[in-house]
Amino acid sequence: MTALIHRYRPLIAVLLVALLMAAPGVGLINAYWSRTVMLIAILSLLVSGLNVVLGYAGELAVGQVALYAVGAYVAAYLGVEFGATNVLLALGAATAAAVVVGLVTGIPGLRLGGWALAMVTFFLVTLIPNLVDILHSFTGGTLGLAAAVPTLFGLEITGNRLYVLILLVTAGWFAMARNLLLSRHGDIFLVLRQSPILASVLGVSVYRLKLLAYVIGAIPAALAGALFAMIDGFIAPETFTFALALSVLAASVVGGSTSVYGAIAGAAVMQLGQQTFTQFQDWQLVIYGAFLLLAGVIFNRGLAGIAHDGLAAARRRGWLPTLPSASATITARHGHDPAAGASASAGLDRLNGAVLRTEGLSKSFGGNKALRDVSIEAHPGEVTALIGPNGSGKTTLLNLISGFYKPSGGSLVLDDEQIGGRPPYRIARLGVTRTFQTPLIPKHMSTLAFVATGRYVTHRVGIAAAVLRLPVFRRGYAADNAEALRLLRWLGIEDVAGRPVDSLALGTRRLVEVARALASGPRVFLFDEVGSGLDESDLVVLERAIEKIRQAGGTVILVEHNFPLVLKLADRIHVLSQGALIASGTSAEIQADRRVLAEYTGATDHESPAENPEPEPAGRSAAPKGAQ
Amino acid sequence: MTTVWAGLATGAIYSLIAIGYNVVLLASGTFNFAHAQLLMVGTFLAYAGAVTFGLPVVVTVLFAAAGVGVVALLEERIAIRPLLGRSDAHGALITTVGAATILDGLAAAIWGRQPLTVPSGLPDRPLELLGGTVRPVDLVLIALTLLLGVGLHLWSRYSLLGLASLASAEDRQAASARGINVRLLGVGAFVLAGVIAGAFGLLVGARTYATFDLGHALSLFGFVAIAIGGSGSQLGGLIGGFATGLIYAFAARYIGAAYPQLVIFGVFLLILFLRPRGLFGSALERRV
Repeated sequence: MTALIHRYRPLIAVLLVALLMAAPGVGLINAYWSRTVMLIAILSLLVSGLNVVLGYAGELAVGQVALYAVGAYVAAYLGVEFGATNVLLALGAATAAAVVVGLVTGIPGLRLGGWALAMVTFFLVTLIPNLVDILHSFTGGTLGLAAAVPTLFGLEITGNRLYVLILLVTAGWFAMARNLLLSRHGDIFLVLRQSPILASVLGVSVYRLKLLAYVIGAIPAALAGALFAMIDGFIAPETFTFALALSVLAASVVGGSTSVYGAIAGAAVMQLGQQTFTQFQDWQLVIYGAFLLLAGVIFNRGLAGIAHDGLAAARRRGWLPTLPSASATITARHGHDPAAGASASAGLDRLNGAVLRTEGLSKSFGGNKALRDVSIEAHPGEVTALIGPNGSGKTTLLNLISGFYKPSGGSLVLDDEQIGGRPPYRIARLGVTRTFQTPLIPKHMSTLAFVATGRYVTHRVGIAAAVLRLPVFRRGYAADNAEALRLLRWLGIEDVAGRPVDSLALGTRRLVEVARALASGPRVFLFDEVGSGLDESDLVVLERAIEKIRQAGGTVILVEHNFPLVLKLADRIHVLSQGALIASGTSAEIQADRRVLAEYTGATDHESPAENPEPEPAGRSAAPKGAQ
Repeated sequence: MTTVWAGLATGAIYSLIAIGYNVVLLASGTFNFAHAQLLMVGTFLAYAGAVTFGLPVVVTVLFAAAGVGVVALLEERIAIRPLLGRSDAHGALITTVGAATILDGLAAAIWGRQPLTVPSGLPDRPLELLGGTVRPVDLVLIALTLLLGVGLHLWSRYSLLGLASLASAEDRQAASARGINVRLLGVGAFVLAGVIAGAFGLLVGARTYATFDLGHALSLFGFVAIAIGGSGSQLGGLIGGFATGLIYAFAARYIGAAYPQLVIFGVFLLILFLRPRGLFGSALERRV
């Protein structure tokens, strides 16, 4: 039964929309309600656009109303001036205009993001009356513009036909938005929202991804504008106000910004509230404000979040049948597929490691020389460890290698190619991947999906394929999931595949980061204190994983405080102190080096640490307890 | 020259907004979108004091300053404090926009949607000064804003409290480890910003009238002032505000009444594009 419902869920949605479309024609709802439904549909388009940008990509672009106005005026002007009343043309032209306006305003605003973008987009909304006035020969100025009757294939699109058209366009947009957001593209938006740094480590150009989200968010707003011009046959600047912008924002947070269908719920609440309560007009600003405040402070996942939690609670108590979890589904599928099962146990594929070399690399922040003249070389099939006290420049060096800092001097070479100073996403695309001291973990995503984002760039499936759910998308999606699950299984944590990744404990997060790093099939691995905070059993798994990466031919650079782990794994150790390299060598050489001991343990020569053949106290304290 | 005076007087208001943004930004690292609304409330309280209650000028200013201080305190308590410690970057945008909208709505509900004239208590007769005409109230507004901006700049650079506030904006945890009461400092900054906005309510209201939607445009122009001056720089904000006012006045005078906002938007985009840290700011690098 459950399986049946799931199999036919899209069909049920189609039936519901069809029923709603037929409702006025068969007398189920009257003109008042059909107009209400149309207005809710239009508002939900605006809100949906905002959700893509704000809820998913996390950009504070709140100027949907400006794009709404662009869509309305473009569609109306085409009809009035050129007699081009075909609705498809109007919708197409509105979309094209919104993309252009989105690019022009997005490029400067998105360079900064955050508040600057919020202000640019708010500003855009307040400019509408001025622009309408300045362009009055096109827009009719403050008097407004009467739009022509829209047509399609010779039919006049009014009354019921318009109602059906608006619902069709809205349903179409939501189907596309759903397919886009519930794909790797939506996942990568969530990664961007959580951490642009993580997005660039995945090889994504943060700036281009933001622009993409912003432009995609502009499209439904423009469609809504064009449809709105058709409803009343008249548009004037009074429609496109700051208050409307606020109501769209309020509807978005009420419905739940990070959701697909929350937009419809939020739009319905706003529209019905406005129509039902006569007091609403007087108090609408207070109400919008209170919604924003409440949603921001208390229930920041909106109605969609409440519905989600409610369903989950009902399932726990057995009121509703439980969903098969993602990992269970995939495991079940692979149960029938012996080839996939075999590859899971086989371990890693061959990794095409690369030589990474720094030559006299330096970095200073103002007068502070964080790194001075550091030359190291890391080879495929070897583990190169960087050790040193806190503040010695280890993470600075990793940040230089992965492109987050630009070198102040020296060069950075990957297989004879100079990569110093390139943006992080370009370096990531050359096969340099990393983990972080504090794992960067997005919200609203399953562990499996997160690991699969590691393949977003290397095994990319286009947007069109995702939106249309083409076979190439399905194949790519299944392959991503299978590979992610294989890696999780390989690390012994496949049981968390279906859990929200931000609910995991630190130790598991670190292993998940390793899986995410491996998913792209990289050439160089940078592990930043990957062992810290791990318990004994996780540490054993990690040790084995790094060992396997080395055997598979990957180039591993390890920054680690756990001295015994470093001694066990590293082929070559470089010791940093106060930004300079003080020693390099094999484990044995480093252990025998007095300067290293003095620097790294605080021991001084007259205490003659050389008499102690074991690792120094600092190392011992970090060692697994069972070893003592 | 009359245009210059008009630009400086409008600019003074933008500077006031920028200064208010900066006071809060410097102490708590929060951007208070609702600051322009605090100034709007100030103009209404000044109207209530001077017209409704018929209070003398000094008492009116104190009344408005205290009143807006309390509003700011409430805003901090309701819209900002619950978010402290959350990682979501745009929580404060949503809640301060919400607070701003509530203030707009309440002002409209209490005082109506028609602009109200706020009497400044100063003579209305324009003065001839440096080849242009200027109203005494505008002159006082410009002078006091300059005084305030320079004073706050020196205070934040040289007083212990100012330095503590800089430290706490930079790194809350490090600052509190040094014995700075970070929370009190944040609340204090909100109240200070509110008191300043309230105290200027009378002068600003005398220039702009008291209207419920005063805040929308001012918040944006105040932000342009910050974009020009670089965020966190009181002196930059002061100069940025006056520059924005002058651009506005000249665009309105020589291009047309519909254009000044558009021109300022263009300047805003240009600055974001060319000097994202502001004309007085310096570039920062990202950290992992």
